[in-house]
Amino acid sequence: MSETAGFPIVAGILSVLFGVLIVAALSIWLERRLLGLLQQRSGPNRVGPLGLLQVVADTVKIFAKENWVPPFADKVVFVLAPPIVIATALASFAVVPLAPGFVVADFNVGLLFFLGMSSLAVYGVALSGWASNSKFSLLGSVRAVGQMVSYEVFMGLSLLGVVAQAGSFSLVDIVNAQKGLWNCVPQALGFAVFFVASLAETRRVPFDLPEAENELVAGYHTEYSGFKFAMFYLGEYVGVTLNSAIIVTLFFGGWSGPFLPPIAWFLVKTVFFIAVFILVRGSLPRPRYDQLISFGWKLMLPLALVNLVATGAIVLATAGPR
Amino acid sequence: MNALLAVASAVAVASTLAVILQRRAVHALLYLIVSFFALAVAMLALGAAFAAALEVIVYAGAILVLFVFVVMMLGSEDARPRGAGWIGPSLLALVLLGELLYAFLAEPGLLAPGAASLPAAVPPQTVEPKAVGIALFGEYAICGEIAAFLLLSGLVGAFHLGRRDSPARPEGGER
Amino acid sequence: MSGQGLEAALALAAALFAIGLAGIVARRSLVFMLLCAEIMLNAAGFAFIIAGARWSQPAGQVMFIFLLVTAAAEVAVGLALILTLTGTLTDTLTGTLTGALSGRPSKGDR
Repeated sequence: MSETAGFPIVAGILSVLFGVLIVAALSIWLERRLLGLLQQRSGPNRVGPLGLLQVVADTVKIFAKENWVPPFADKVVFVLAPPIVIATALASFAVVPLAPGFVVADFNVGLLFFLGMSSLAVYGVALSGWASNSKFSLLGSVRAVGQMVSYEVFMGLSLLGVVAQAGSFSLVDIVNAQKGLWNCVPQALGFAVFFVASLAETRRVPFDLPEAENELVAGYHTEYSGFKFAMFYLGEYVGVTLNSAIIVTLFFGGWSGPFLPPIAWFLVKTVFFIAVFILVRGSLPRPRYDQLISFGWKLMLPLALVNLVATGAIVLATAGPR
Repeated sequence: MNALLAVASAVAVASTLAVILQRRAVHALLYLIVSFFALAVAMLALGAAFAAALEVIVYAGAILVLFVFVVMMLGSEDARPRGAGWIGPSLLALVLLGELLYAFLAEPGLLAPGAASLPAAVPPQTVEPKAVGIALFGEYAICGEIAAFLLLSGLVGAFHLGRRDSPARPEGGER
Repeated sequence: MSGQGLEAALALAAALFAIGLAGIVARRSLVFMLLCAEIMLNAAGFAFIIAGARWSQPAGQVMFIFLLVTAAAEVAVGLALILTLTGTLTDTLTGTLTGALSGRPSKGDR
């Protein structure tokens, strides 16, 4: 774990933290406006210019609500679950390089750190459903655990092609290895699998079966309200922001790009992928649960393996004798 | 580094003790997650970053999730042995602990005769993930194959046991 | 790092192993027994890591990976067995398991 030279670590952590939270809050606004556009309605447009302050108004409303824990719930676990969701997503940003030299921790197993944190996010969902002690919550979190553990596998496998090309788990090295050609071209298959897997990891449409509102009320967060619900809600958007940032870092050259400063390129690309996540939500229906699981194991897993074997073969053939 | 190791050790021992003392399985699992985290930190302090990452991804992120899943499906609570039930096992474990500590710390020559005459260790450096991969698929390739067979047999076994019409499930798969 | 740190780490591995053993003997529930077996396996893996760090060799981490694989396979089969047994025995998790495993009919069995 190395600290980059001339870069005060605390200021770095704080700026990344607040930057991420602001982007996540803005993506809530972006989602509601874009979905409005897609469904030929206005979306929020009353509070502030273009409805930009709607998120602030919602925050005030949510903070004013009663901080309630159901009497039948397991209190400690119930309160513990929402912070797990948001903390694991925020912690992953530590290893994402936003610009040359602007990374909180250039960790030599940075990519594995991201995978570890996203596999821990399962606990937030699983424990919230269990602690709520209600049937809808439990069903939602049983679904979420099955889905997230399955898609975690393909997520990891789809990234190994990138690792093989860069020869390192460090995200800075991976960005630097894309100087000539962005990974989205040679790793197109890996990118496709990773994109689908990250949709499933963030539990968004079409993979929102854990919180399918017409079957399960609200799934694992049925019993949550007020500030604790806000953590789930914001956590979802932090997750979307994180997965967009990781896609940009691994497959679209990170900060690189002409004319604009690196950080601006990174932001532009990330916001683009947040918008893609939103448009996918606006246009796809929700599959059945067994379809979801067999799609993963019967299509995504073989694709990820084919990608990994092919990448390995090409890397081996071009590298020459070791 | 040593301070990091000391704190991680204290957390690991305390949370593992809490695991075996908990009444509810989910609480025990939560403590075990903390314990695995502490061990991952200890591994980082020892320069084994790759193993630390695997500890979090596989142990905390996959194996314990399976436990949570099963506990959620069973919904059962455990009757904890109270009082006297703990005395025998604790004494046995303490004896074992004493023996292990004696073997590890007091008698350097006990486990590996001639270890005292071995050259002093090189100061530990970080072992890169790349070195681990090369060793795993080079020197230890056969073991890797065997491990793959083990995983496959685990997969087949779990699938067989979980099948609806499994012979291991006489009344045809009700839970 | 000096040898002091490595010895402390070995003591940690020993302590975790002992705690796991105490748990596996004292608890009556299958889930808990499997959990304690995990603690013991993990402690053994940690000891391998310490040995690897002592000599700055990757072999320690390789062995840890093999232990990880063993643990994963064990848990998959073990938990599947527990789920299957809960289908056949009503009170698997609190006692009458020895009867079921030795083939003698227990009260929950058909």
